[in-house]
Amino acid sequence: MAVPVEEAIAALSTFSLEDEQPEVQGPGLWVSTERGATESPIEYSDVSAYRLSLSEDTKALNQLNVLIQEGKDMASVLYTYRSCVKALPQLPDSMKQSQADLYLETYQVLDLEMSRLREIQRWQASAASKLAADMQRFSRPERRINGPTITHLWSMLKLLDVLVQLDHLKNAKASIPNDFSWYKRTFTQVSIQWQDTDSMREELDDLQIFLSTRWAILLNLHVEMFRVNNVEDILQVLIVFAVESLELDFALLFPERHILLRVLPVLVVLATSSEKDSESLYKRVKINRLINIFKNDPVIPAFPDLHLSPAAILKELSMYFQKFSSQARLLTLPAPHELPPREAQDYQRHYLIINHIGAIRAEHDDFTIRFASSMNQLLLLKSTDCADIEWSKEVKGSMYDVIVEGFQLLSRWTARIWEQCAWKFSRPCKDPVPLESHETSASFSDYEKVVRYNYSAEERKALVELVSYIKSVGSMMQRCDTLVADALWETIHAEVQDFVQNTLATMLKTTFRKKKDLSRILSDMRTLSADWMANTSKSEPELQSLQHGGEESKANFFYPRPVAPTAAQIHCLLFLIYEVVSGGNLRKPGGLFGNSGSEIPVNDLKQLETFFYKLSFFLHILDYTATVASLSDLGFLWFREFYLESSRVIQFPIECSLPWILVEYLLESQNAGLLESALMPFDIYNDSAQQALVVLKQRFLYDEIEAEVDHCFDIFVSKLCETIFTYYKSWAASELLDPSFLFALDNGDKYSVQPMRFSALLKLTRVKLLGRTIDLRSLIAERMNKLFRENLEFLFDRFESQDLCAIVELEKLVDILKHTHELLSKDVSIDSFSLIMNEMQESLSLVSFSSRLASQILSEMQSDFLPNFILCNTTQRFIRSSKVPLVPVQKPSVPHAKPNFYCGTEDLNSAHQSFARLHCGFFGIPHMFSIVRLLGSRSLPWLIRALLDHISNKVTTLEPMITGLQEALPKSIGLLPFDGGVTGCMRLVKEHLNWGKKTELKAEVLRGIKEIGSVLYWMGLLDMVLREVDTMHFMQTAPWLGFLPGVDGQILYSQDGGDSPIVNLFKSATATIVSNPSCPHPASFQTLSKQAEAADLLYKANMNTGSVLEYALAFTSAALDKYCSKWSNAPKTGFIDITTSKDFYRIYSGLQIGYLEETVQIQSNNHEELGDSVAWGGCTIIYLLGQQMHFELFDFSYQVLNVAEVEAVSVTQTHKTDKSPHFGQGWEALLEAMKKARRLNNHVFSMLKARCPLEEKTACAIKQSGAPLHRIKFENTVSAFETLPQKGA
Amino acid sequence: MARAGGITNAVNVGIAVQADWENREFISHISLNVRRLFDFLVQFEATTKSKLASLNEKLDTLERRLELLEVQVGTASANPSLFAT
Repeated sequence: MAVPVEEAIAALSTFSLEDEQPEVQGPGLWVSTERGATESPIEYSDVSAYRLSLSEDTKALNQLNVLIQEGKDMASVLYTYRSCVKALPQLPDSMKQSQADLYLETYQVLDLEMSRLREIQRWQASAASKLAADMQRFSRPERRINGPTITHLWSMLKLLDVLVQLDHLKNAKASIPNDFSWYKRTFTQVSIQWQDTDSMREELDDLQIFLSTRWAILLNLHVEMFRVNNVEDILQVLIVFAVESLELDFALLFPERHILLRVLPVLVVLATSSEKDSESLYKRVKINRLINIFKNDPVIPAFPDLHLSPAAILKELSMYFQKFSSQARLLTLPAPHELPPREAQDYQRHYLIINHIGAIRAEHDDFTIRFASSMNQLLLLKSTDCADIEWSKEVKGSMYDVIVEGFQLLSRWTARIWEQCAWKFSRPCKDPVPLESHETSASFSDYEKVVRYNYSAEERKALVELVSYIKSVGSMMQRCDTLVADALWETIHAEVQDFVQNTLATMLKTTFRKKKDLSRILSDMRTLSADWMANTSKSEPELQSLQHGGEESKANFFYPRPVAPTAAQIHCLLFLIYEVVSGGNLRKPGGLFGNSGSEIPVNDLKQLETFFYKLSFFLHILDYTATVASLSDLGFLWFREFYLESSRVIQFPIECSLPWILVEYLLESQNAGLLESALMPFDIYNDSAQQALVVLKQRFLYDEIEAEVDHCFDIFVSKLCETIFTYYKSWAASELLDPSFLFALDNGDKYSVQPMRFSALLKLTRVKLLGRTIDLRSLIAERMNKLFRENLEFLFDRFESQDLCAIVELEKLVDILKHTHELLSKDVSIDSFSLIMNEMQESLSLVSFSSRLASQILSEMQSDFLPNFILCNTTQRFIRSSKVPLVPVQKPSVPHAKPNFYCGTEDLNSAHQSFARLHCGFFGIPHMFSIVRLLGSRSLPWLIRALLDHISNKVTTLEPMITGLQEALPKSIGLLPFDGGVTGCMRLVKEHLNWGKKTELKAEVLRGIKEIGSVLYWMGLLDMVLREVDTMHFMQTAPWLGFLPGVDGQILYSQDGGDSPIVNLFKSATATIVSNPSCPHPASFQTLSKQAEAADLLYKANMNTGSVLEYALAFTSAALDKYCSKWSNAPKTGFIDITTSKDFYRIYSGLQIGYLEETVQIQSNNHEELGDSVAWGGCTIIYLLGQQMHFELFDFSYQVLNVAEVEAVSVTQTHKTDKSPHFGQGWEALLEAMKKARRLNNHVFSMLKARCPLEEKTACAIKQSGAPLHRIKFENTVSAFETLPQKGA
Repeated sequence: MARAGGITNAVNVGIAVQADWENREFISHISLNVRRLFDFLVQFEATTKSKLASLNEKLDTLERRLELLEVQVGTASANPSLFAT
C-alpha cells in the first residue's frame, strides 16, 4: 500500500538521532553541491519554450559557458604547474655516452607538459575569437537578434575574467618559460635524426612567443575584438553594468564582486584603446567613479596566493595599448607597493580583520540568535496543523530575510579573509623576527615573510575567530537546508507572483497604458511567470473568502505554492526588465537604471530595479547548499603554488602553513574562549583538499595536503593532550593547596587556575577530516592513559633518586596526580587510578605483595637510612648524620621533566615545593603517614616482615663479634670499689675492658646495635601511625557495625546477637521495596542486602588489629632466643652471679661507657654517628634477654654514677670545711653524659615494659622447697609469634 | 528598431506556464522529500557512528579490565602451591 511521501518522511523523525556531539566543526558534508539555478542544468534549453526569440542568445550563452569551464580547467593546470626541469637528473661523467638517451627521455616527459601549454595557447586563441565574435554579433546598432541577456553579459564578463587570470598566471609563473627553453634544447638535440621538423619548429616558435610575451592573451583578444567591427558599445555596457553592480553592492556575493573588480580595469583599457573616440566611455561613466572603485580596492585576490592590482594592470597595459597611455588620471593611481605611508595606513586599517572583529562578533551573535528564533518559529509553524495564512507567510518571509542576511554576512566575512590575504601578500613583512634563535633572518623565504611572520598574534586570533564564525554559521545554515527549502521557495514564489500579478498590473493600468511596446514587454513578463491558478487547489469556500479578501486589498491574492521559478524564467525576466529600461538600445546613454531622460517614471523604475536585483539574488538562494559551500570555503588559505615556485622548494614546512599557524596559535594562547574552535582550522584543510580534487583536479596536491594534515593532526592531538593534562594538573594542584593559606596570601591569585572548558572537545567522537571520521575522544583517552603512566613512572624515578625523606613529597605529588585523574575522568573514560598505580608499582600480580615502592623503601632503608640516619629521641625524628657515610650511596640523578609532571605550572610547583622542603631534612611521623598511605595494607606487611628479617640477620651477624668481645673480657668482674672515687673507678673499668685492639669490632657492634634500635624505633613510629589510622577507621565504621567503645578500650557490641545497623538498614529497606508490587527488580535489592552482610563481616574481621611494635618486639625476642644461652649465663646456683662477664649486658655496658667516654673526648662526635638508637637497640636486647635488672645493677656507668654521687656527698661535706673542690676533675662532662644515657635507658625500659611485659613470659619462680626456677613459661604469654618461620632458621 | 519581447503565442504560452507550475510543484515536492530522506540517512550514519564510538569505548575499557584480570589469574595459577594449604 502506498504511503504518502510526506508521512513517510515525517515518520523518520521518530528515530532518535541525538548523539550529544558538540558542533565545533564546519560543515564537512554536502548532500548536493550542484548548481541548479545559477548555472542552468539543462543549458537554458527551456528558454525557447517562452518564445522570446532568444535562441541565438541562448546558443551563444552556452558556448561562452563551455568556454568558461574549459578556461577554468586551463587556469588550474597553469596554477598548479610545477617545474619539471628541477627534477631532471644530471648525468655523471661516466655515463656521458648515453646523453642522447637522456635527451630523448627528457623530451618525452616534457612533451607531455608542453602539449598542455600548447593546448592552452590554442584554446585562448579560439576563446578570444569566439568572445570577439559574440560581442560583435550582439553589439550591432541595427539589431536583428534579441540579446544580449543579463546572463549573457555575465558570461562575457566571466570569460573575460578567465582570460585575464590566465594571462596573469602566465606572466607570474617563471617555471613555464624555463621548462620550455629546456624543452626546446632537448628538441633540437632529439630532432636531429628526425625528418620534416619544420612545422614542429614553427609551432615551437609560436609557443615560445606566446609564453614569453607578457599579456599575450589580452593582446590577442584586443586584436580579435577590433578586427572587423567595433565593440565599444558592448564594452561600455559591460563597464556600466559592472560599475553599477559594484556601486550598489546588493546582489553581489564576493566571488562575483571579485570577478567584476578583476575585469573592470581590463575592460576600461580595451574600451579606451579603440580607434574612434575613446572619450565616449566617460560620457556614460564618469572617470571619478572608476577611479573610486579602483582606489577602494587596491588589491584584488585572484588566486590563493596571487593577487591583482588594478593600478598595476593599468600601468602595465598602457605600454601595450598606445591609446590608453594618454589616460593620465587612471595611470597615476599608485600600485600597492607605491602607496604613500599614510594611505597605506588607511588601507591597512581597512584590510586587517583585527580592526573589524568587534563589529563582526556583534553581527555574528545577533545573527545566530535571530536565525535560531526564525528556525524555531518555522518549526512551530510546521507542527501546527492549520496555521493562519498571514502568520505562515510572515514566518516564512522572516526566514527568507534571515537567510539572505546570512548569505550576505558569509560573503562579506569570507571576502574579508580573501582580501586580507591579498593585502598581506602585497605587503610582506619587512624585518621578520626569528622565532627560534638558530634561524638567521637571511634565510627567510618569501612565503615566510608574507605568511609566517606577517600575522601578529592578535591578527591570528582575529583570523581564527572569523574562520570559526564563517564555519559555524555555514554549518548552521547547511544543516537546516531541507527544513527551510520549501519556505524559501514559497517566499520566492510569492515575491515573483506579487510582482507580476500586482505590481505589473498596476503599472500596466497606469503609467504604461499609452506605451504600447513597453506594456507588451510587461505583459510578456506576466505571461511567462504568472501562476494564476495557484489558488485552485484550495476548496471553494476558502477560495471565495480569499478572493473576497483579495478584492478588499485591491490586489490579486494568490495561494502560496512552494515552487521556485526556474533558471530560465529568471533569465527571461531579467532580460525583459533590462529591455524595458534600456529600450533594447546598447547606446542608450546613462546607466542601467540611471534615470536620464527615460520614458519610465522614477517610481516604476525604482520598483523595477529592486525586483531586478532581487531576482538575481533568488538564484543564490535557490542554490542553497552550493552557495553556502562556496561562501564558507576557506581552502584558499592553504594553497601556495606561486610562492613554491618562486622559492624553488618542493614544499614549505608546516610552520609556514596558515591553517597550522592558526591551530598552533590556539593551542599556545590557552585562550579559553577560542578553545572550542580548535578544530575549525582543520576545516580549512578539508576545504583545500576538496578544492585540490574537485576544482584544481590535481592528485599530487591532495596527497601533499593529506600528508600535512596527518602530520598536523598528530601534533595537534599530542599538544592538545599536553594542554589538557597541564590544565587539569594545575587545577588539581591548586585545589589541594590550603585555602586559608591562599586567602591570607597577597598574591594568592597566581595559584588559582583560569577555568577552561575542554568538555566539548572531549566529547568529540567524530572529527571529520578529509573524508575520514576520527574518534578524537578515544585518541585523547589513549594518550591520557599513557601520560598518567609516564607521570607516575617519573615520580617513582624521582623518588628513587632521592632519600627516604622525599616520601612526603612523593605522596603529595601522587595525591595531585590522583586528584587530576579524578577530575579528568569525569570527562574522559580513562583507566582507573588504582590500576595505573598497580601497573607502575609492578604489583599487578595477585601473589606478589612487594611493590616497586615498598622494595625501594626497603633498599633505601638498608643502604642509606639505617647506616646513615641517627635518631633523636626527643623530637622523634631521624636525621642524616653529619658524618661522611662509610659507603657512599649511589643514586641515579634526578630525572628532568616538564612542569606538568609536577604540579602543572611553575608557580604551583614552587608553592608545593616549598611545602615539601619542610619535610626533606628529616624522617618522622609525617613520613610514616605517607608510607602507610602509599603502601596500603597490601605492601606494608611485606615491608614489616622484610625489616624484621633485617633485625634477625643483624643479630646473627652480631653474634660472632660479641663472642669476640666476650673473650677479651676477664673471667669475672666485680663491683667497682667506692674508695677510688670516680677516677679510680674509671681506671678499673679500663683495666677490665682491655679491648684496645678491637676498636673496629667495637664500632661494628655498636653500629649493628644502632641499626637494630633504629628499626625498632621505626616500628614504634609505624605503630603510632597505624594506631591513628585504625582509630580513624574505627570511628568511621563503628556506627555502622554497631560498636561501642568500652571503658578499657575494648569494643562492645550495641546489639546482643542481632544484626549490625548496616545489615538491618539494608534488610528493612529491601523488605519494604520488595513488598511493593510495582518494584521492577526485587532481586537486585536482595543482592544489595546480601552485600551489606558481606561488608559487615569483612569490616568486623578487620576491627582488631594488633600492634606492630609488639609484634616486632616479640619477633626480636624470638630471634634472640637462639643466642640466649650464649649471651646470658644462667648461674648454676640459681642466684645472681655478680661477677659474671659473659652476659650480654656486660658487653653493652662496656660498649656504652666506652662510647660515652669517646663522646666526651671528641666533641659530640660519636653521638652524631650513632644517635639515640644505640640505647634503643642495646636496651631492647638486654630487656628481651631478661637482663634488665642485672644491667641496672651492674652497668659500669651506673656504678660510676653511684660512686660519683657518694663522692659528691662527701665532697660537699669536705667542701664546707676546706673549700678545695677537687671532686671529679675533668669528669663532669662524662658524668653528665652518663646521666643522660641513664635517663634514656630508663625511658626505653619503661616503654618496653609497657608494650612487651616480659615478666609474664619468663619469670623467676621459687619453689616451695626454696629452689629457684629460671625462665618459666607462662600460658598467657604475649608471644604468639614464636611459631613464625624465621629466615634461615 | 525591433523591440524585444513579443511572445508570439501568448495564450498558449500562458497555459503551458500554468501547467508547468503545477508539474513542478510535484517535482519539487518529490525532490525535497528525497533530499530529506538523504539527510536523514546522513544523520543516521553520523549518530550511529558516535553511538558505536561510545560502545567501542566501553568495550575498550572492559577489554583492558579483562586483560588485567587474566594477568592476575595467570600469576596466581602459575604458582598453585601458594593455594595448597
